[in-house]
Formats: sequence, structure tokens, C-alpha cells
Amino acid sequence: MATHDINLAARSGSLVESHKGYDPRLVLFYPLLALLLLVLAGGLAYQQLLRSGQHSHAERTQNQRRILVPGPRGNIYDRHGQKLVENRARFSVVLYLDELKQELRREHVRIHKNYLAAGATRKDVSYRQLEQLARVAVVQRYLDRVNRILHRDEQVEGERLNRHFNSELLLPYTLIDNLAPEEYARLIERLPVVSPLQVFVANSRFYPFGSAAAHTLGYVRPYEEVAAEDFPGDDLRTFKLKGTIGKDGLEQQYDGLLQGEAGGTIFRVDPAGFKINPPLEKRLPVQGKNLVTSLDIDLQLAAEQALGDQEGAVVTLDVRTGEVLVMASKPDYDLNKFSPRASRETVQDMTERSAWTNRAIDGFFPPGSTFKILTSIAGLRHNAIRPDEAIINCSGHIMIGPKRFVCFNGIGHHGDVLLPWAIADSCDVYFYEVGRLLTPDLLAAEARRFHLDRRTGIDLPNEGGRMIIPDREWKRREKHEAWFAGDTANMAIGQGFVDLSPLQMACFVASVARDELTTTPTLVHDPARPPIRGEKIGLTPTQRAALVSGMEDCTVHGTGKLFANPTLGLPGFRVAGKTGTAQKGVKPKQINIAWFLCYAPVENPEIAMAVALVGDTVGESFEGGRNAVPVALAVMKKYLEIKQRPAGAVFQPFRLE
Amino acid sequence: MPYRRLITQKPFLTLGLVVAAWLFVPAAMKTFARASFFELTAPVTVAADYARVLQEYWGLRLHSNHELIEAGRDLARLNASYELAVSRNNEMQAEITRLESLLRLPSFASYRYEHARVARRDFSGWWQRIVIRKGRNYGIAVNAPVVFTGGVVGKVTEVYATTAVVELITSPNVRLVGVVEGDDRPFSFQGGINPTLGPARGVVEHVPLDLFAAATAPKRLVTAGFGGVFPPGLTIGQITSLEPSSDGLFKTGEVKLDDRLGSLTEVTVLVPLNPE
Repeated sequence: MATHDINLAARSGSLVESHKGYDPRLVLFYPLLALLLLVLAGGLAYQQLLRSGQHSHAERTQNQRRILVPGPRGNIYDRHGQKLVENRARFSVVLYLDELKQELRREHVRIHKNYLAAGATRKDVSYRQLEQLARVAVVQRYLDRVNRILHRDEQVEGERLNRHFNSELLLPYTLIDNLAPEEYARLIERLPVVSPLQVFVANSRFYPFGSAAAHTLGYVRPYEEVAAEDFPGDDLRTFKLKGTIGKDGLEQQYDGLLQGEAGGTIFRVDPAGFKINPPLEKRLPVQGKNLVTSLDIDLQLAAEQALGDQEGAVVTLDVRTGEVLVMASKPDYDLNKFSPRASRETVQDMTERSAWTNRAIDGFFPPGSTFKILTSIAGLRHNAIRPDEAIINCSGHIMIGPKRFVCFNGIGHHGDVLLPWAIADSCDVYFYEVGRLLTPDLLAAEARRFHLDRRTGIDLPNEGGRMIIPDREWKRREKHEAWFAGDTANMAIGQGFVDLSPLQMACFVASVARDELTTTPTLVHDPARPPIRGEKIGLTPTQRAALVSGMEDCTVHGTGKLFANPTLGLPGFRVAGKTGTAQKGVKPKQINIAWFLCYAPVENPEIAMAVALVGDTVGESFEGGRNAVPVALAVMKKYLEIKQRPAGAVFQPFRLE
Repeated sequence: MPYRRLITQKPFLTLGLVVAAWLFVPAAMKTFARASFFELTAPVTVAADYARVLQEYWGLRLHSNHELIEAGRDLARLNASYELAVSRNNEMQAEITRLESLLRLPSFASYRYEHARVARRDFSGWWQRIVIRKGRNYGIAVNAPVVFTGGVVGKVTEVYATTAVVELITSPNVRLVGVVEGDDRPFSFQGGINPTLGPARGVVEHVPLDLFAAATAPKRLVTAGFGGVFPPGLTIGQITSLEPSSDGLFKTGEVKLDDRLGSLTEVTVLVPLNPE
């Protein structure tokens, strides 16, 4: 028993844990451990509390992608609601590459196995090459399915496909673009509803009237900087489908309003960049605002048909409001060739034909005898001439200094000529004399009163600023020469240095029709637009009557008498006009510019017009009365025809803000 | 106690194991199993349908002689009008054949008609389809169009030895190309997401902007014939509304489909004579 107790005591003694309550050596480690824990806790707090925003942002930018789809542009209408520019759907068959992840992986493995089975080693073909081969093989399989349905034989372009994979994975890859309606129908019926292959709808600009008002309407170009305002995810990697931007004409001028509102989608993606459905955010694109222009397409077509292949321009204005009814410029181009983009051949062809320039606003020509209206006004206002006074006897020429100035329009001579007949029959000698009685500075000042020395301010881009209203100072500055008496004579008949655009002359004649100084033209139609009210020209009733009488006589028995022709003209319809024939260039290579300005009806002016045609042959008989008047007559006839029609619905333009 | 708990959980465990095993079965085997299952159950489906027909027959036997005589008279009238229509059709067909031979045009008779009885209707939120009592034994092929007196029924999606599955146009999985009667611009029709017993509707997309339709002035939607699956001119439904889409390019709208699609007993399969 005693032995047993001793053993137990010994055993229990060995089981007793000896504990030393305090070890000074360990104390050193406690603060170190605490410091380390503090650092860790601090780091954790820093990362979780202070840098959480950055981590969240990094996670978003790494895992989310944004796709922007441009909104279709608004339509453009003429003043009667005829559609001049619209969007037309363009169908294509596309493949959503981001849905092919598993298939690509399997193909990759299969190709790799085939290589190995053929005896190739891992070094013979890189991972990247296998990847590209798999992409082409898989996409070609889908394309073959489409080929079978459409009876085509299209092949995958490997380079384009790889580029798309690398930079635009989330955007649909176009297999075949611009499908015919029958092809669209076959694919809709034969492709499965749920498939990476889908029929995709894009839009492109369509111009129902082809080349009509081409320069005025303008064209669009593909544009990649699509922006979606108020759509989140500016900081995300964004894929953009191409939109369009106006590059000329109204398409450029009102681009901000015509431009649609872009839609967008935000997707979460996996580490390989493949899309995970459903989208986190989605917004549909919205069409841009429609624009109702002041153009009248029937008048426009009449003007363009009358112009034919001749180089030149026609501008017609509503006298009361300044709204542009016609703006035609030749040579022109088919706007549909710019949709979706102009080919190199189209650009080259346009360049060779000088078809880029809108001659109505950027073509500057000496106005010839049409300028005599201004000379008459200047002479009357400064009392240099009186309507009932023959200031000179036209013998067919006049000597100004040593130089002989002929009357180009005198058959023999005009004799003693009064103002109305001088205007109607365009007597140069009379106006040489008016110029002499005035001074170049007075003539220039009168032109400036009508704002002929500046842009009209029409709502179009690229209105030229190369107009010239010369005076002594101008000639000294630009030509480094003194002003001669002959320069004044030339200026008085719209020759020499004077250069004006058809739009300027149309505004001028519209102003004369209202007995006012300025007309600001616009291409936006507003049925509620108030009539223009501006400063009066300042002629007495007698003076104005003589001026108008001369202009009306011009279309009755003067140089524009085609208007009064019983069969070809508009007898009874009172038109006030003035023809002009100017020369451009240096002798002997001078070509003629044929002009005609007019407004009608005389008793209550509604429409004003300027026609300018450029001759194409040196020395040919190319004149305002012979060449420009028929064009104006055609437009005026169409105008009267349109006036007979019953009034249609009133189209409201978008609100200009 | 734990053992008893295990026993109660056994069905769920078994289900879990079967589902897990099914997940790892190769796709080919799954397809085979599914097809085999359908083939095995097809006789049951057909037998059930025969039983239903027999049931209907005995049900009809309960009608009085007077009712049967009335029905016989109605049927005779209907037959007379149909005979007239058939006679006119034959005349027109003969004229078409004459013109085709005169102008040396190829014949447009591209389909053979195969009438089939509906063995089962399967309408749910997932799919809208019917099973017909004819299959490969009558030369029916996948994608063959199926019609009835009211127009398009759908298209064949699965074909078995003696039966075939037809996906109805009420299903969102069916898409075809239609035109408004009298117009030739094609646009897309797709079945809508329809409630099981509710009125069937579909949707149209890519409709030209100058087409208009409303519930009070619906437009008849017919097959375009451009797609190569359906011949032209078959009624799909009535377009009851058209609204411009937000992008301004097209209109989208709703199509009211024939109510009889939910109670079909007999359909006709158009079997292409020269399948592509």
C-alpha cells in the first residue's frame, strides 16, 4: 500500500504543470507584437475605410464595360412637309463574339490536339496563333451557315476579325452588311431566335431627291466620338458604334439639334472580357429633332432642272420674311453617294468637276448690269439724276479720259435716255455718266448701306467672305494703284473689281422689293415668322416709281422681255427685273457671267430671285437676257403653279433655343 | 435518431445525386435519352388521343337524331360552298398551269399537303406547341410550315418516327417574315410571351413608318414568302397597334392571333417538294 502511494505521488508529480507567471524576456515581444498588429489593423483600416472608393472604382473599371449606340439623326423636311432627308435602315447579319467563349475554347483545344497528333510540338505553334485559328474557324462556321441560307460564298477576313476581337469584343461583328430585303427575310425566318447570329439594324442617311439642294442640305460623315449625356459610366472602358456628324450645309449647321440622343448599355464582364447578361444599365437611343426648312422642293427641282448642266446658282427668297425658297448650285452631287460614306471615286469625281463649292453662297462674280439698280438708287438719292432728265445722249460709246467705253447693250445708240428706259434696256453709257456724276466712294457707301460688303448671315456654314465693294482706299490697299475714272465707270455697271455672290444679290433685290435696305436670309421655316421691317432705302415716291417702272419694263420690252412672251412667258404677271452680263477673267480668256435679278408680283412682292450662270466657252454669246432669264422664268412659272394648289398642313420647325 | 433523420432526407439526397449525375452525363447521351423518351412516350400520347377521339365519338352519339339531322344539313351547306371554292381553285390552278407552260415559267407548286391530327397541346409559360400524329413516316421534316384554315399555325421543330412537334406562332421562339396585305415590304413577326389561357398575341418589329394600324382599323398580316420557309399570303394575324420605336427608324406593334390556335384538332403540314 505504501509503495503504491509513493508511485502515485511520483506520477502525479510529473503531471503537475509548472507555471512561471512572469518571464521578463517575453515582455520585449509584447510591444513588438502589438505594434505589428497595430500596423496590420491600421493598414486594413486604411485600405477599407480610406481607399474603399478607389478599390470600388478599380473593381468597376475592371469588371464593367459600356457600349454606346448613337441615336438616329432627325429628318429634314421642306416647307410643305416633303421629306428631304431621312434615315433608312441598313440590315446586316452580325455575330456576337462575346457569346462564343465556350465554343472558342473547345475549338482551341481541338486544333491543339490536331497539331499534336500531326507530330507538331508545343514550340511549333504559339498559344496566340492557336487562338487566332480558333477564332477564324468558329466564325467561318457561323458564316457558312449564313452562306447556306443566302446562297453566298463569303469568307472571314482574319485580320479584321482579330482586330475586332482585340479592341471591340463587346460590339457585334458584322459578317455581311447591307442585306437585300429578301436576304433579310430569309435570315429572319431561318436563324434561331436565340443565337449569337442576329440580324442587326443600323441606319444611314437617305436623300429621296438625290442631288436636289445637295449643297444646302449637306452631308454627314461617320463619327466615332459618340457621347451619351447623363448616362453613367464615363470612367468605364467604352465601346462605341459609329455615329454620324454633319459636315456641310444644314446637316452641319444644325448638327446639335439633328443629332440623336445616344443610348447605352453597361455590362459586367468576366476576366477574359466576355459579357455577362443581363446588363446592369440600359438606355435606348432616341432620334434627333426634325428640321423643317424654308425650301420648297418643287421650286428647287424646277430651278435645278432649268439650270441643267450649266455652272451657276439660283437663289429665291420669300420677300416678306427672308426665308430661302430655293438655293441651287451647279455642278452638284448625289447625296446618297455619301451614305454611309463617300468612296474615293466619288470624292475624285467631285473634285474634278469642282462640285464641292456652293456657288450660291461661296461663288463670287462681278454682278454686271444688275448692279445698275444700286447705281440708280445712289444717283437718285444723291440727286445726281432725276427720273425725268436725260443726263446724256447715248451714241453707243463714251470717252472717259483717253479710253473709249462702249454701250454693250446699245444697238447703234440709245439717244437721249431716261432712267426707266436706261434700266429696262440696260444702257451702259447712261450709267457711266451716273458713275461720273457720283464718286466711287458714294457708290461704295451706297453698296455698304445694303450690306453688300459683308456676309448675309444665312444659317449655313461656309458662307464666303470674298465679296468686294471697291473704293479708292481698297484699290490702294489691294492693288497698290490709284483709282482711275474708268474704274468708276466700270463699277457703275457692276464690272471691274466688284464681286458679289448670288445670295447677296437675292437679298439685295428682296430688299429693293420691300423698299428697305437689308434682308437677312434664313433656311428655317416658321409659319409664324413676322415680316421683315427695316430701314427704308430713302427714295421719294417718284424716284421709286421710276426705278420700279424701269425694272418692270425690263421684263416687258427690255432685255428680259422673254417674261412677256405670249407663249413662253407669263404675260400679265407683273415682274420687276434686271438682266446682267459680266466678264470674269483676263482677256482673251474671259468668260461671261449671265445674271438676272427679279421680284414679283410688282404690286405686292412675294418672291425675289437671283440667277447667276457661268459660261463655259470663251467668246460665246452668253448673256443674262438669253441664258439667265429662262431659268428665272421656269422657277416663276412653278411658283405660280404651286400658288394655285390648295393649302396643306402647316409644318412646325423645331424650336431654336 | 440520426439514422431516422437520414431516412427522411433520403429522397432529397437521391434527387440530388441523380441531378448531379445528370449534369456530368455527356451531351450526346442526354440528347439520345431525351429522343428515346419521346419515342417511348409517343405511343402513349397517340393512344391517349385515340381514346379522346373515342370519347368524343361516344359523346356525339348522345345527341338526338334531330340535332344530328340539323348538323348534317349545316354540313351539307358548308360542303356545297367548299365544293364551289374547290372548283374555282381548280379553275385558277389550271389557268396558272396554262400560263406557266405558255410563258415557260417554272412551277410554283413547291409543297405537298399532309393533313395531321393534333395529338397533344402543350401550352405553358415555357413553350407553346402541339404534337401531331404524323412524323418521319409521312416525310415530315424539321422547319416545315404548318397551317390551318385560319392561317399559319407554326413550324415543325422536332420530328419523330410517328409524331412531330410543332412550335406555334404564339411562341416567342418562332420568328417569321410578314407583310401587310397589299404591301411588299417585309418585317419581322415574333410570338409574344403569352399566358397559358390568355388571348394569344405576337409582336412585329421593323415595320415601315408609313404603315398605320389600330384596334379599330387593324391590318391583316400575311406571310411574305421571301424567307423561303412559308409560302406567301398566309394569314398570321391582325396588327392592332403600331407605335414608332424610340430610334425613329421603324414602328413596332402588337398582333392579335387567331383564338382557334388554342383548340386545334386538325392541321396541315406543307412538306417542301424540293427541300434546300
